[in-house]
Parts: sequence; structure tokens; C-alpha cells
Amino acid sequence: MKLPLSGLCPILLSTVMCVTFAGCNVVRITLNTPLTQNDVAFIVPGQTTLADVITRLGTPDSITESYTGVVATYRFLDMKYSRVNFGWLLKPFSPIDSDLIISRTGLGTDAFELLCDSDWVVTHQSFLRHLSGPRFNPYPF
Amino acid sequence: MLFFKPLAGIIIVLALVMLQGCAFSRGTIGEDIRSESVAAIKKATTTKAEVLSLLGAPDRLLQVNGRDVFQYYRYDAKVGSLLLILINFSRLSIKSDDLFVILDREGIVEDVILSKRTDGLEFRFWPFGE
Repeated sequence: MKLPLSGLCPILLSTVMCVTFAGCNVVRITLNTPLTQNDVAFIVPGQTTLADVITRLGTPDSITESYTGVVATYRFLDMKYSRVNFGWLLKPFSPIDSDLIISRTGLGTDAFELLCDSDWVVTHQSFLRHLSGPRFNPYPF
Repeated sequence: MLFFKPLAGIIIVLALVMLQGCAFSRGTIGEDIRSESVAAIKKATTTKAEVLSLLGAPDRLLQVNGRDVFQYYRYDAKVGSLLLILINFSRLSIKSDDLFVILDREGIVEDVILSKRTDGLEFRFWPFGE
């Protein structure tokens, strides 16, 4: 993946710091706009060109070469995190800072890949995974 | 009308009591891809050297279909956090601008592909829905 995540670490860290001081937290992180089957239904293998796809979906995140042509990849991510701290309810009554935390993270990462021939005509197209979107559910068990 | 004024007051007071604060954060990677520079690149005319002088060195150099492809990218991330007493809502949105300049074997620009997805990027707090 070309995204240099280390560069975004400070902002991710500040987000985590902001949200760790309450009883419940609901966090969502999205990278690019998730694509659906409907968004790519217009692509007809053998007819649609990469230029047509770019007109509708924008530029791909990466273009690489394979033995049979060019692979264009659109990446996207939809992460959902929820957390409940039951210990927070005791804070007004307890002299100690007690925590009882349950949390869960759902990482919906996917990519849409196009294989084009040497004339930039799409020959194959597919999603990398067919993930259903993660849900906000802090129960980890 | 008299009924609505106390109700509005109660809602405002409750909102102020519940609201601990808001947070806005932003992070970017890479330089902004200037549209003027991209517009100056003409297909079948502009050379590799001219592309480099207009845009600088590419973030990635690819070889595709026997052609050189210069890739320039920029990432923009915006976080909005709504900090309430009992619950916090936070949403981080990341989008990218990507520019691909495809050069033929003679080093002349064959195609230019630009997409600026960060233009519509907004600060969002609400994590549910789309």
C-alpha cells in the first residue's frame, strides 16, 4: 500500500487521545470513498477503457504492470471502533480511578482491481474481498 | 410561543452541560498538486524535463506498458471530535489527490490523469451512516 501511514500517526494518536477520556467512544476512519458493485456496474470487460473508468471513479491509487497488462487498483478502508468504560460510572463515588473497558475494532479494508490490456481496455475487474461493512459493536467476546 | 422559549432554553443548557468540547485536527502528506502546473502539460508536446521543472520529481516512478509513468500524490486527513460527558464521537476522513503523467519511449507526455478527491473533504463528527 502506498499510503505512508507513519506520516498520519500523529493525527491518529491525537484522535485516540481525544476520545479516551469518556465513558463511551465511537470512532470511524474512512480512507477514500468506499466503492460498491453499483458504482462499477458500468464497466464492461473488453469495451470499457481505463480512461472511461477514470472519468467516473477518479484516478486509481496505484498502477502496476503484470505479465498480461496493467493493473489499476482503487483502495478504500472503513474502520469502526467502539469502546465502553464501565469503570467511568464509578468515578464520582470511588477514590481510585478504576477502569473496566470493552472495545472492538472492525476494519473493513478492500480494493477494486482492474486488469487492462496494452491498449488500456479493461479485460477483468474484481473487488479484492467482498466485505460487508463492519458494525459498531463494543462487545469483544 | 411562550412554551417554546423555556424548552429551547432547556435544550441549550443541556447541550452546554453535556458538551465538554470539540476537536478539529488536520494532517497532510505531500505538496498540493497545482492545477495551473497540470494545465501547462500538453499531450504529445511537453517533454519529461519540462514535467520535472513544472512539478518536481515524482513521488513514484513506474514502468507500465513500456512507458514511464510519473505519479504524484497528496493525502489530506481531517478529524472532527465531539466530546460529550458520557460519549465521544469522532470521525477521521482521509482522501488523496493523484496525478499520473504517462510518458512515451521518447520521453514525451502521452497522457495526464488527475483526480482531486480532497476538494470535497469536510470535517465530520457523526460516525454513523455514510
